[in-house]
Amino acid sequence: MSTTDERPLASADEPESPTNRPRSMHLVKQWLQRPYVRRLLWITVAITAVIIALSFVMVGFMNMSGGPGSAIMNEIEKTMFVLTFTCAPLMAGTLAVLTYSWWGGWGSVASGDEPTSDGPAIQTNGVAVVTWITVCSVLAAFLVVWGLVELATITSDSYGSVPANQQPNSAKPVVVNVTGQQWLWSFDYPDSGNIKSAQLVLPINVPAYFNVTSLDVVHSFWVVEEGVKIDANPGAITNTGFTPTKLGTFNVRCAELCGLHHAYMETKLTVVTQEQFTSWIREQGGTTTS
Amino acid sequence: MSTAVAIHEQAHVPQPKQISNPGGFLRRTNFLTALVSGVVTAAIFWFATDKITSAVTGPGATNNMSLPSGLNISITMMYIGWVLGFMAGIGAFAGPIRWFLGHDLTHADAEYMAGKDMGREKFWKFTTDHKVVGIQYLVVTLILFGFGGLLAMLIRTELGATWTEVFNPNFYNSIIGTHGIVMIIAMIIVISGPIGNFIVPIMCGARDMAFPRLNALSIWLLIAAIPPLVSNLLMGGIRDGWTVYQPLADQAPIGMIGYQVCIITFAFSTGIASVNLITTIVRMRAAGMTWSRTPILVYGILGSAIMGLVWFPMYQYSQILALSDRTLLTSFFVPASGGSVWLYENLFWLLGHPEVYVIVIPATAGVLEYLPVFVRKPLFSYKLAVAGIFGVVGLSAVVWVHHMYMTGWAPQSNYPFMMSTEMISIPFSFLVLVMLGTMWRGMPWKRLPMMAVYAVVWNKVIGGITGVYLSDTPVDQYMHGSMFVVAHFHYMLMGAGLFGAMGVISYFFPKMIGRYLDEFWGSVGFWTAFAGFQVTFMSMFVAGLQGMPRRVLQFDSLFNISNWISTIGAYVIGIGMLIFLYAIVDSWRNGIIAPDNPWGGKTLENFTSTPVPHENFPVLPVVTSGPYDFGTPDPYELADDAIMRKTEGAEKVSARS
Repeated sequence: MSTTDERPLASADEPESPTNRPRSMHLVKQWLQRPYVRRLLWITVAITAVIIALSFVMVGFMNMSGGPGSAIMNEIEKTMFVLTFTCAPLMAGTLAVLTYSWWGGWGSVASGDEPTSDGPAIQTNGVAVVTWITVCSVLAAFLVVWGLVELATITSDSYGSVPANQQPNSAKPVVVNVTGQQWLWSFDYPDSGNIKSAQLVLPINVPAYFNVTSLDVVHSFWVVEEGVKIDANPGAITNTGFTPTKLGTFNVRCAELCGLHHAYMETKLTVVTQEQFTSWIREQGGTTTS
Repeated sequence: MSTAVAIHEQAHVPQPKQISNPGGFLRRTNFLTALVSGVVTAAIFWFATDKITSAVTGPGATNNMSLPSGLNISITMMYIGWVLGFMAGIGAFAGPIRWFLGHDLTHADAEYMAGKDMGREKFWKFTTDHKVVGIQYLVVTLILFGFGGLLAMLIRTELGATWTEVFNPNFYNSIIGTHGIVMIIAMIIVISGPIGNFIVPIMCGARDMAFPRLNALSIWLLIAAIPPLVSNLLMGGIRDGWTVYQPLADQAPIGMIGYQVCIITFAFSTGIASVNLITTIVRMRAAGMTWSRTPILVYGILGSAIMGLVWFPMYQYSQILALSDRTLLTSFFVPASGGSVWLYENLFWLLGHPEVYVIVIPATAGVLEYLPVFVRKPLFSYKLAVAGIFGVVGLSAVVWVHHMYMTGWAPQSNYPFMMSTEMISIPFSFLVLVMLGTMWRGMPWKRLPMMAVYAVVWNKVIGGITGVYLSDTPVDQYMHGSMFVVAHFHYMLMGAGLFGAMGVISYFFPKMIGRYLDEFWGSVGFWTAFAGFQVTFMSMFVAGLQGMPRRVLQFDSLFNISNWISTIGAYVIGIGMLIFLYAIVDSWRNGIIAPDNPWGGKTLENFTSTPVPHENFPVLPVVTSGPYDFGTPDPYELADDAIMRKTEGAEKVSARS
């Protein structure tokens, strides 16, 4: 509109009492008073609530097999919540417009009829476009920043690519050489007399550090409830690690198609106390320093 | 949209001399001669190579993975022989050979090749008419979807039968891989093939594509590429998923060669089709069709063709190197001899991710194309839609490493690629706003194409939010390689891509076939498939969250319930798709005859008769207005105007569009 922006806007029938609010506020207020806008907002709020409830269900499914077993898995689940909460209002708004149009909130033409009149000729709307782009960009930027910080956190939790002997942690880590081959995992404890095991056994609250490789094709070392995964590549060593914080038995699976019996390439992780771990090492014929 | 006027007369140009009947050699070639020629040439190549290799290497020679290397070479040559023989038998080389001999094609030859005054046999020949090629693409696509869908039913049968192995592991892994690659090929061509070839030139106001003979070449190369792929199931299978990671693929039986030859051939087909589409769109739009009057579908196809042209060679290259490892005993991807598995993964995903946008962008643009027609409103913020499409095209180049977060290739690169991956949601959000803004306050005409819009947006929202989880490296550390990923990309490729394509095809069906798609059976099929789709993949999300890896045939009993539900849903999809297929086949023969403008649209294809005549337009059209000029003045804005007039006391009416 080409009028001066400061001028208070009068209603069509009776003059509004003079205020100092800028004209744009009036336009927003007017817009919010349109009946369909009200309904859309309520639908958006309802769908947002459903999505937020669903995020708890999702994390519940992730914990069904006994997790979270480490700080890394806790971070992952926290990130799930943050991502869902960030996206929920935008998703809900989209679905609200969708369902409102689908239910015929703005009217509809039955499939047997032909449309007789055109809709409003809205070519574009600068305010809507700028608002949408701004909101989406800010949310995406927030997701990026959150993701970068979380990635740095879990990388340091999993000891990233820093060799075990240069780790800052005071606790001496348990080093395990993980070898994938068609179709089994084997675990080698070099600090404990090179004992070999088909099952992974780790002491609780002690950092565990893995050198992962493969003898034949690409596998992926996935300790499900600990939230740790890294490919086992032939001809290269990859590193990961975590500190188990929960006693119990967890799943180790192969997450990369590796041939005929890929489905059966799984084993167990047993997290035990330090004393049990020491005695397990001795049973296997290894040497312990503690 | 347009008023048709004669713009110029043909200048006289000297024509080459007619040396035989119009068409010459091409009069004798068709699909049958191509089949015979392909099989015979394949056999000759196989025997010849077999004799030579056994003479050169001796019977005991083996390749990297202890397979007889002579066999690999002769099978490779057999497939190459098939492709060359098939193309020769269809007459693809007739034009170049005549040019080489100095006998250029005459106008009568060109008209014969375009199928002028020819009956149904033109669909079985090397026909250059873009409308024939469009129909050929449509039929090939439907056959591929039928085959891929059948394999999907087998996969779900195995996964639903949690108590037993229905198939042996080799066959199960092979149908996983074959389902994947067949569906990927079908999804890549489902819009750009039928719609891009049939509708886009008409929409641009052209008489044909820019390079009609290349157009025929692209469809027949595609048809030649399919049998090697399908035959892998008879030759030991491609038991490595559609990604065929090395060095696992090196272990696979000779069926893998079929996959590799298929991809190399298909990449040629895609490149040729992309060049053709890009040239047509850039150079052959009607007079007056400026870039701001070009329909959004044309932009979508353009973006898709650009991505296909740029990125497909990477995939082709990876397969050429893999084939060379297998036959010539090179070691690009053999770690034991100094090769790198990460090299393969990079080359593969350089196409592997842009390919998702090659599929989703045309489907989205197709939906945006007809949405204004069904709400009788202008496309909301047309320029934002164009910006969205090209934003995605641009960013698609720099996101591929998010498939490799967990490979250990370069852990530090996870930071920038996580950023670029999350940033690509911004141009995508433009397209969502355009859809919502066009729906906003419109009265939807509840025909099948309009219903498909709702289905697409719904699926895209779910695929989008789950994509946000996967783009985030920490969460992906849990999700990567699990069924969650499978469910996510089915929501994008099938939910947004295939359901969008079903909407687009049902919208253009009357223009292409001359009859409306049956509304009742089409809708029943569509909604049945949609309902089954939600059940299948929602419960697959659950299996993924619980920690079920993908591509397995047996699993922990924890995942039983979600897999049973998934399988039931998959059968429902199968039933729905069969009903939709019935609707297509039945409407093709008995549907309601469509008028020239089936839906009341304003793009150029609505200004020629149905069925579209030879060379599309009696007189080339001139465009004088935009493609989406629907709508009446906005009542709310009129009310605002009334308020302003009262406030100002002014009498003049401000002009608004």
